Amino acid sequence: MEHPHIRKDRSEEFARKYPHHHETFLVRPHWTRRRFFQVAGAGLAGSYLATKANASGPIITSQGMTTKNTAKNCIFILLTGAISVVDTFDLKVTNGVTPANFNPTLVNGINWPMGLLPKLGAQLPNLSIVRSMSSWALVHSLAQTWTQIGRNPAAALGNIAPNIGSVVAIEKDPLRTPSQVFPTFVALNSPSGAGEGYFQAAYAPFRLSEPGGTSNAGIPNAANPNGQTTFSIMSSRLHQYDDALRINSPYGQALDDYSAFYMAAQGMMYNPAVQQAFGFASADSTRYGSSSFGNACLAAKQILAANQGTRFIQITYGSWDMHQDIYGLQNPRGNNLYTMSPALDNGVSALLGDLQSTGLLNETLVVMVGEFGRTPRISAAGGRDHYLIQSDVFAGAGIQGGRTLGVTSSDGATVTDYGWNGSGTTGPRYVRPEDVESTIYSAMGIDWTTIRYDDPFHRGFEYVPFASQGAYGPVNELWG
Amino acid sequence: MAMKRTFLMAAGATLMLTAGFVASRAQDPAPQDLPADPADQQLPVSDPICTFFGPDRNRFVPTRNSPDGMLTQQVALRLASADAVMRAAAVAGAIPSAPGGSRTDTIQHPSENTIDKYIFPALAAANVAPAPPTTDFEFIRRVTLDLTGRIPQAADVVAFVNDPSLNKRAALVDNLLASPNWVDKWTVWFADLYQNNSRNTQVVRYIQGVTGFNTYIRSSLGANKPYDQMAREIIGAQGANSYTQGELNFLVGGLVTGGPVQDIFDQQTANTVQTFLGISHMNCLLCHNGRGHLDALSLWGYETTRQRAWGMSSFMSHTDTLRTSVTGAVNGQPYYWGLSDNTRYKTDYALNTQTGNRPARGATNSRTTVPPAYIFDGTGPNPGENYRAALARKITSDFQFARATVNYVWEYFFTAGIVSPSNQFDPMRLDPDNPPSNCPSPSNPCTLQPSNPRLLNALAQDFINNNYDLKSLMREIVNSQAYQLSSRYNGAWDPNTQNLFGRKLVRRLWSEEIHDAIAQSSGVIPTYNNAVWGPVSWAMHLPEPLATPDGNGGRVASFLDAFLRGNRDDQARRPDGSITQALDLMNDNFVMSRIQPKGAAGSLLVKSLPLPDDQLVNTLFLTVLSRYPTSAEMSAALANLKTNRTQEAQNLLWSLYNKVDFVFNY
Repeated sequence: MEHPHIRKDRSEEFARKYPHHHETFLVRPHWTRRRFFQVAGAGLAGSYLATKANASGPIITSQGMTTKNTAKNCIFILLTGAISVVDTFDLKVTNGVTPANFNPTLVNGINWPMGLLPKLGAQLPNLSIVRSMSSWALVHSLAQTWTQIGRNPAAALGNIAPNIGSVVAIEKDPLRTPSQVFPTFVALNSPSGAGEGYFQAAYAPFRLSEPGGTSNAGIPNAANPNGQTTFSIMSSRLHQYDDALRINSPYGQALDDYSAFYMAAQGMMYNPAVQQAFGFASADSTRYGSSSFGNACLAAKQILAANQGTRFIQITYGSWDMHQDIYGLQNPRGNNLYTMSPALDNGVSALLGDLQSTGLLNETLVVMVGEFGRTPRISAAGGRDHYLIQSDVFAGAGIQGGRTLGVTSSDGATVTDYGWNGSGTTGPRYVRPEDVESTIYSAMGIDWTTIRYDDPFHRGFEYVPFASQGAYGPVNELWG
Repeated sequence: MAMKRTFLMAAGATLMLTAGFVASRAQDPAPQDLPADPADQQLPVSDPICTFFGPDRNRFVPTRNSPDGMLTQQVALRLASADAVMRAAAVAGAIPSAPGGSRTDTIQHPSENTIDKYIFPALAAANVAPAPPTTDFEFIRRVTLDLTGRIPQAADVVAFVNDPSLNKRAALVDNLLASPNWVDKWTVWFADLYQNNSRNTQVVRYIQGVTGFNTYIRSSLGANKPYDQMAREIIGAQGANSYTQGELNFLVGGLVTGGPVQDIFDQQTANTVQTFLGISHMNCLLCHNGRGHLDALSLWGYETTRQRAWGMSSFMSHTDTLRTSVTGAVNGQPYYWGLSDNTRYKTDYALNTQTGNRPARGATNSRTTVPPAYIFDGTGPNPGENYRAALARKITSDFQFARATVNYVWEYFFTAGIVSPSNQFDPMRLDPDNPPSNCPSPSNPCTLQPSNPRLLNALAQDFINNNYDLKSLMREIVNSQAYQLSSRYNGAWDPNTQNLFGRKLVRRLWSEEIHDAIAQSSGVIPTYNNAVWGPVSWAMHLPEPLATPDGNGGRVASFLDAFLRGNRDDQARRPDGSITQALDLMNDNFVMSRIQPKGAAGSLLVKSLPLPDDQLVNTLFLTVLSRYPTSAEMSAALANLKTNRTQEAQNLLWSLYNKVDFVFNY
């Protein structure tokens, strides 16, 4: 997979025909160059929060698209290593290859491996499966980053582009109330996921691995080893010794801003809401499958239920990179579909069930996607290699469940029906990571054609590349 | 000249004020009798021990050219006796109460320093008063962190403050530049600049490649290699093994997958031009003409075409970036990288691509290849000259090379570049004698780009005249009065004037600096054993920001990550704050385990607890914050220590590690 090829399709032709172009901020009538530099100047002043305060407003443009606006929250599940969709979300039964105990069963007209993913099968009425998805590249790290930032990491602004969740965080930040103490963007089990790019650290993913773990508070360092009573004394001493330097600091605004992070941090310490959301009862953990991934799903549900300001949760689960022995015929305990699937099945099904029973599913978009697909043909090593065509799974936020979009050939090697009309004037085509990104933004009421001019190159950061020319857009067909 | 005169008059007024304080201090030692300074709303000075933050702080400030030599002499006499007390105490191993005074050296004014010759007139012209000078305490902490990444040792602070010699600041700078810690810190700084990491979204160097590159940087800095030579070696590097020939790793970082080889040439060119000429727009131009894209950002970019960018990229077009599996590799891994010229690729940059990461490259005017042509003057290699050697020669003899380099270094020391962002130079807006005018498009920026163009040019010229000596450049910067201005500002500060550098802007310490400052000051030095790069005690010795001292998911690794050390790929090192940083400094085991009263025998708290209360407080402050407590801090600490002494000592030390003047270089 050293030299992956990139498939051409109509969106690529579109991009070539209409090369990247946008009007510069200087020709836009309603915000002047001087205003721009005032805003930019505030950011340069060494202030952590000055840019944040000015982040929305006059340096943003968009085409004024109508969004779906059905989702308050988003849970983004990244299946790293690339799950084999012909064994799961787009099951293709091959005689002599597909294990009999996969128990292929028609559910809602969808052929499903009930033997492998039984509980998820029971959730099919909530799921909408897009089978015409295609990745752009077949290198793991590149495609994983691509999926999380919704653009080519090697293209312009690719190396400073924020995670989709950071864009959601900067957009939803104004809706936070003072009593909400959770970060807007939480990333569970995603230690090396894409970060906030050029945005302020305030929009960075709040990374948490192994939620719960051994700490009853759930969040590392949300409690002091000396105990709460001593900590409150220590904290008062800190104010006594340092308020002269951290409040209206003689050394500049940056020190006041740093103090603000302390206040936010102390809001999360010894806070019952934090402990309830990020820690959990063992019975619940069991119900979610008693796995690290299941615990992350449980924490995600609890974090959203707490309504403490978190709007985007990323959960990463791997590794699905099964080049050898994908069915565990040689080594049943190795990294294969049987060892990896139960955690996925238990975690996601319990998550969807709990979201539904609490009413949160109606306002939460759940997206589950790998960075690319795997070859429909089994390899000599009994595994599957990298392949562009894949499926992704959506649920919640008013999308129509219990069905599929797009059709693949009987062997899963090609897409025979894209199942959607494409974006702008592109016509039907593959669903791309950029389209998934647009779908998330639209669901959350964010105009996916937004361009913000606070990027370090002053080039204009498009939330979705080329979206203002219609090259990419949301898969509206998900809503029926 | 009129402006300069105005400035000197203003400066003179400041000097009178300073002299006034010194005079009253010398004549009347009772501090409460000092006239209050209404402009300074900071900590009231109520205790003779503690004068650092109050109006009396001027005692710790250079006396400059006092109009009254007698005063200076009086102060010097007084200091000499205080110094004797301090030295005796230092020998005894205990740090006594704060000395009664401080500075004696005199900074020449007006300064002969290049920087000061341009900064202070510019401030005067804009009618912006400069901040007061740093005290000795402020200066030694600031410059030690900036040059070596460490906080100073308490004994060094005391010795420096009490050193009566006139050139002690310059002498301190020379010592720091000669220290091994300077090499450590700047190896990391250059490895950041060169984006030296074991893996990014495109290429895997392995830790051996990272270490190889670090070794190259380290030995180059240690030998004080002229920077133009370093640049030539990096741009022109040829060889087979990136593990053993570290400088190969820079261009290896331009490897791009998923496209034709021209994508690699382009990325290598973009990286080279950004790093050594400070022009990141090269990357844009390798996809499309500047017009319609860079109009409002760069006059040069607006004028420059993709064709010309290809000419620059063509210097890379004979280079094969190839990998070789090490002996005994499994599935071809691990491997090292090499750069080989005129082996696989012998023709110039070809215009024949339809797919990949950049727009199609098609023949223009029936031309199917582009020969190498330096983007600013169109010249190619000499006959028979290796393409990349020619590029390295052209770049390092370009004045822009010196200008970009001094600006990168300046940006580090002053928190903002003279051209900012430092990687977005517009070559057509740099010449103060030929400023842009009648710009072709109404959206073009039509003013000079540097905030102080003549300063930038003079610094670059000094750098060239000093044979591209990095230490000379840094010496020039940190010895300037401009660098030695306080970050404290008297009066209302207008952020719009910050590019005049009338005030030092604070910076949050690097992740590695915070780790090392806590380790050093607590006296509890960790050891991280790692089969590949260990053992290591100081975070500044880690091979890269991806390195996890206590393994993946380890708490020390998380602690370091919290302070945004970046990944030298899509995450730059960042100065931002965060909730996680606050949680970690308040509660993490890395801090908490180092403030235990029953901890390691050599730890700061265990050693300090037997001292009398005031010496205990002084010792903790000096060791952690490199200064004495203010009177308010001292009296609060003494009052707290009266009950639950051990716990309160711990509370104090914990507070010091969470104080903003610990987390920031101010």
